[in-house]
Amino acid sequence: MLQAGPAIDIITPHITDAHAIDYPCLHTGFVCEMALPRWAPIHLGPVAIDMSPTKHVVWLGIAAILCLITMLMAARAHARTTFGGQRAPSGFGNGMEAFVLFLRNEVVIPNVGPKGDKFVPFILTLFFFILFANLCGLIPYGSTATGNIGVTATLALITFVVVEIAGMREQGRGYISTIVYWPHDVPVGVKSFMTFIMTPVEIAGKLAKPFALAIRLFANMTAGHVVLLALIGLIFTFQSYIVAPAPVAMAVAISLLEIFVSLLQAFIFALLSAVFIGQIRTATH
Amino acid sequence: MHFFLLQEAAQHADEAVSGGLLSPSGGVMVWTLVIFIFLLLVLSKYAFKPITKAVEEREKALADAIEAAQRDRDDANRLLQDQREQIAAARDEAQKIIADARAAAEQVRGKLIEQAHGETGELLERARREIGAERDRAIADLRLEAIDLAIAGASRVIGKNLDDQSNRQLVQSFLASVPSSKLAPKAGM
Repeated sequence: MLQAGPAIDIITPHITDAHAIDYPCLHTGFVCEMALPRWAPIHLGPVAIDMSPTKHVVWLGIAAILCLITMLMAARAHARTTFGGQRAPSGFGNGMEAFVLFLRNEVVIPNVGPKGDKFVPFILTLFFFILFANLCGLIPYGSTATGNIGVTATLALITFVVVEIAGMREQGRGYISTIVYWPHDVPVGVKSFMTFIMTPVEIAGKLAKPFALAIRLFANMTAGHVVLLALIGLIFTFQSYIVAPAPVAMAVAISLLEIFVSLLQAFIFALLSAVFIGQIRTATH
Repeated sequence: MHFFLLQEAAQHADEAVSGGLLSPSGGVMVWTLVIFIFLLLVLSKYAFKPITKAVEEREKALADAIEAAQRDRDDANRLLQDQREQIAAARDEAQKIIADARAAAEQVRGKLIEQAHGETGELLERARREIGAERDRAIADLRLEAIDLAIAGASRVIGKNLDDQSNRQLVQSFLASVPSSKLAPKAGM
């Protein structure tokens, strides 16, 4: 039954943003779309920003709400079972405390260094927000907001700003030396030459970090879905029920892997953010 | 199914957000920023701060408990040491008291024995003196009796009363010439 139909891209629509969200229904394919409202773009000087909610914005909001519910419940359970810090928590509070404590004691404090406590809420929020957004992509009809370059770029930019502000607050005037390379132990001639060469490198290094953060998360989350869709697409490519079990089995395996990747990428984003904050706080040139 | 996918793809093409996969959309970025900052503020205040605070309090409570246990153990050790020293001191003192008492008893005993000895000597001496005195008196009595007997004897012999003053003096002077040592053993008997 091989028919040479028109080439249809079923993958791109699934991984790109849309002005509609999918929801389960009993129509053909068990999927319906709900159009999201379109608002007129807001003009800020020369740039026009279309603030209309999109599929990824909605799923980002859902991830944030789930994250809020989970963490607030955890905090309540924690408070209920610890009696004001006098006892170890139990149950759900204890489980979430393990996450919080691991990130605080093994990620933030060793990497950020002394006075790293201030950055604990930021890193924890990054971790849990990204984790919930990643996992939302694994729910049927869900969408991976962290597979949107805009979302990951914004998170990376927030991290960039936090890192630079942490550097300015910690180093004071010494922060300039993280932008302008100015060695102290070489003659003036060599120094000027080195500054001329190295300053662009320093700036490029500074910008590469958030860029890498954004691309890493985006690419990881997108790639998983591309693989899943490609595997499922094999069934339609062969137009046969007989080959279906193999792609389905592989898709299940990839989905399990995706759960791990969701956790791993959230952890890597949080870990690298902590590492960058620590680097700039101890940077000496 | 094929038709459905075609249809869906067409719909998506209509609704796709401008830009495509690799160009970020400004609206999404602003939304992300807003959602993230809201989440950061709420979670920091109502979730992470209470949990971290409770954990820190527990860590502090544990550290305090460990420190207190250490301190208590040190105290207990010191007290035990003190008690041991006190017991040793008490034992020493008891030994000393016993030794002192023994020495005092010894001294008292010695004194008493000495005193007893002294008293015995004194008693003996007094007895001796009294015996001596009794003997002297007996000798004196015997002498007087002897005079009377001698005179009575002599009177019988010569049939005449010799009882006059001169005779009596004669016998008395004779008896006085006899040393008392000759009379003493008899009187002593």
